[in-house]
Amino acid sequence: MAGAKGDKPAKADKAAKVAAAVAKSSKGRKKETGLGLTNTKDGNFGEWYSEVVTNGEMIEYYEISGCYILRPWTMAIWDVMQNFFDPEIKKMNIKTCYFPLFVSNNVLQKEKDHIEGFAPEVAWVTRSGDSDLEVPIAIRPTSETVMYPYYSKWIRGHRDLPLKLNQWCNVVRWEFSNPTPFIRSREFLWQEGHTAFATKEEADTEVLQILELYRRLYEEYLAVPVVKGQKSELEKFAGGLYTTSVEAFIPNTGRGVQGATSHCLGQNFAKMFEINFEDEKGEKAMVWQNSWAYSTRTIGVMVMVHGDDKGLVLPPKVSSVQVIVVHVPYKDADVKEIINACSETVKTLCDAGIRAEADLRENYSPGWKYSHWEMKGVPLRIEIGPKDLASNQVRAVRRDKGTKVDIPMAGLVDSVNGMLDDIQKNMFEVAKQKRDACIQVTKTWDEFVEALGQKKLILAPWCNEEEVEKEVKAKTKGEIGAAKTLCSPFEQPELPEGTLCFASGKPAKKWTYWGRSY
Amino acid sequence: MGALRLPCLTSIFAVSSASLFPRCRNNHLNVRKLSSTAKVEVAPVQEQAITPHSQDFNAWYLDVISMAELADYGPVRGTMVIRPYGYAIWEAIQDYLNIKFKETGHSNMYFPQFIPYSFIEKEASHVEGFSPELALVTVGGGKELEEKLVVRPTSETIVNHMFTQWIQSYRDLPLMINQWANVTRWEMRTKPFIRTLEFLWQEGHTAHATSEEAEREAMQMIDVYTKFAYEQAAIPVIPGRKSRVETFAGADRTYTIEAMMGDRKALQAGTSHNLGQNFSRAFGTQFADENGQRQHVWQTSWAISTRFVGGIIMTHGDDAGLMLPPRLASIQVVIVPIWKKANEKDEVLDAALSVKDVLHTAGIKVKLDDSDQRTPGWKFNFWEMKGVPLRIEIGPHDVSSRSVVISRRDIPGKPGKVFGISMEDPVLVPYVKEKLNEIQSSLLDKAIAFRDSNIVDVSSYDELKEVISQAKWARGPWVGSDEDELKVKEETGATIRCFPFDQPQGPKTCLMTGSPAEEVAIFAKSY
Repeated sequence: MAGAKGDKPAKADKAAKVAAAVAKSSKGRKKETGLGLTNTKDGNFGEWYSEVVTNGEMIEYYEISGCYILRPWTMAIWDVMQNFFDPEIKKMNIKTCYFPLFVSNNVLQKEKDHIEGFAPEVAWVTRSGDSDLEVPIAIRPTSETVMYPYYSKWIRGHRDLPLKLNQWCNVVRWEFSNPTPFIRSREFLWQEGHTAFATKEEADTEVLQILELYRRLYEEYLAVPVVKGQKSELEKFAGGLYTTSVEAFIPNTGRGVQGATSHCLGQNFAKMFEINFEDEKGEKAMVWQNSWAYSTRTIGVMVMVHGDDKGLVLPPKVSSVQVIVVHVPYKDADVKEIINACSETVKTLCDAGIRAEADLRENYSPGWKYSHWEMKGVPLRIEIGPKDLASNQVRAVRRDKGTKVDIPMAGLVDSVNGMLDDIQKNMFEVAKQKRDACIQVTKTWDEFVEALGQKKLILAPWCNEEEVEKEVKAKTKGEIGAAKTLCSPFEQPELPEGTLCFASGKPAKKWTYWGRSY
Repeated sequence: MGALRLPCLTSIFAVSSASLFPRCRNNHLNVRKLSSTAKVEVAPVQEQAITPHSQDFNAWYLDVISMAELADYGPVRGTMVIRPYGYAIWEAIQDYLNIKFKETGHSNMYFPQFIPYSFIEKEASHVEGFSPELALVTVGGGKELEEKLVVRPTSETIVNHMFTQWIQSYRDLPLMINQWANVTRWEMRTKPFIRTLEFLWQEGHTAHATSEEAEREAMQMIDVYTKFAYEQAAIPVIPGRKSRVETFAGADRTYTIEAMMGDRKALQAGTSHNLGQNFSRAFGTQFADENGQRQHVWQTSWAISTRFVGGIIMTHGDDAGLMLPPRLASIQVVIVPIWKKANEKDEVLDAALSVKDVLHTAGIKVKLDDSDQRTPGWKFNFWEMKGVPLRIEIGPHDVSSRSVVISRRDIPGKPGKVFGISMEDPVLVPYVKEKLNEIQSSLLDKAIAFRDSNIVDVSSYDELKEVISQAKWARGPWVGSDEDELKVKEETGATIRCFPFDQPQGPKTCLMTGSPAEEVAIFAKSY
């Protein structure tokens, strides 16, 4: 293994080095040298995060910087989200398909603004076997340019519309800024939906329908509060008409994080790729298009929002194990009986559709197991010892609050279901309170700068001018990054007449969230 | 190798740029439409006939793929776009297998697509087998990379790299994982679904404490595949062991399921490898056993890919087009309403809608084709071409008699058509379910009969040559050397598909060498 580590590219970034250290320390853990994180969430957030995702067995760092291995603990969460989202979009009559990973250069170059946004991040296949390719071939950073030539081909008349496709796939963006597991990685998994309509109204409607699904994904599944809103001109998708997003916030770092985006592309791509149709009057018209995506980044946001100094905290709805049952043997107690009780409990819960598992390993102490499953963020732990057995009850310990209750075996399923629901709810409420506590309304530049220094999520009246946003960015550029707009929330507070932009002093047009971001 | 040619499409496939795309109205999809002046409003189907199965199997296959809207050619040579109707077949395959994998104790995970070239080099025969087909990334983010990266052709190397870090003791074993991913092999001769530069698959990887356990796992997974092929895809595959020559680069033993296509060529439809300790030795993947001794793990890997979709098309399709086994069909029943006069339309559509609701509620995948641009006859042909197992017709007479007409895709014309089936739930639902089951087993029976009538037992090389020249499969006793096997390949174009698990009893004499043989092998030309 030491040799393998040596294979790492010499220029490995800092995060990867940290990870290597973490990987080693996690190895030590397995030999019962005590569990636990060496960093705290408040103390050193970056290192804490690396440690949580590796020790929680979600991610493994890898020789190639910015590429991560997604372990079963992660993929189970991804699967749950997919099992929610995929049927929902199928109900909207969106079909699944698969377009190639490889893009030829001239297709990639077709939409100029678009490619300017992505070109610096493209990875190129230049060789096959022993020979050089005549023309290098790109690996998709996103699929607009791969898909739209086909839309042009498949769409003829208004009856071919709407064309609504989605694909689940990997994409590659070869960035050099600090890679962070889930949040910014060179390869990631996502869904990308691409739809074409006859009218702008239909496209507008769908943008919001999808955005609502993204909100539900975050709030109902990941228990992460998000703000729905529109991106500024500067921050919108390159080549699109407008971009909507759900924005989350990480209180510890004071950074916003773009959770998922739903873009209306307008007719720009239709023009470039000649996606035309004959309308009902027999006249040629261009389609209106949308594209929308969420990625494995969602999981990183969840970890950052809920994790604590003991490790991951997973919302019950997405956790691959919702209840972990641990047996607590005492001297002279009938271990077999306790183990049977544990297995029975797991069976009862599983039969009721609860994802429960027992950890009956003999070579680890109960205490070690408690720490282990806390590290992995399992929402509820059930302990069964001789006393519990005698009184026909089990002890349940919540991961989110650490509270312990004894629950009678009779009615176990109802109690556990109730607790899981409550954990889900509580996690969202707590996260929302924390986020809301960070929201700071600022009306002047001085207030803005102060709030930014305090890691606030800033809500400010803005004149909605691109130049002004650029200036704000330039003026706040510091070690920890420049502030920018996150979104203008759809739910706008009242903007009294005469309110001025915090930055330019011009009349404000709307309230906008500002902050540093991932 | 004739079948690997792509008659009318070779030129298209050779083009590596997007120059194909500027409004490609007269491109490959419409080659047969030369005389047609049809434009915008006319769908590409119907106007062009599918090349008959018997006349040119390859052209038939490509026609079915484009006209049934299963796939389209990708922008880069040898890649493909899987369209929703084709992808739905893959989703059905995934839905079934994903559950089976979990039931057998495997967890899903995801490994990066890029593998440092140095990893690939670690297992000698592996690098030898794969290096001509590797796609290499050397530039990323505008910079030359320090180490060239391989776009995964398969993941044994990266998996082993990680297993080495995750496995410490016997308690960490068995380690059983699976991933659904895309893989890349830079092939020269390509064919949609069957062989493309990039394809989708699942790859299972497991590590075990003992050789026996690994062998059991490899066999278990080939059984899962066999069962899937028979029960879901209605493809009577022959499970068996690959010859040394055909064994996976880096495996001790490769098990395979071999399917006979409509042109009687063989298709390797899934494989399961016993990797022995080859990768664990190359990567130092060791565990401490119960006595504290360090040992190398024993491993398996196994995969099924989108190639299987091609297998389904080529097993069941006929001159009318695609024929989907009901269990994998995304549309199991299509309802075609029929009306002549405007005043009939409403009541017919109402009835069609209520039939649709009844079937949908019963969990049957049903589609109502109520578009009024097409005649019922056109729709019949269209949905037959798309391979939908059952068609329900509802006309004004049917509405008044509260009944429907039901036609089977697998039995053409009158014999497959039944009139007067009540449209009431208690009658219709069980009837449709029963018919779907009948079609499912009838497709399998037909495929078994076809397969069995095209496998000929041979006892000499001359007989083998004769059988292969008739484009059939030859089955005969074999203990020949690797050189003998290559000679057969050179002289007849056939390879050993497998030593089938199902072996005939009695003494055997090798068809090539005349020595006593233990097993029969199956020889055939293949995709």
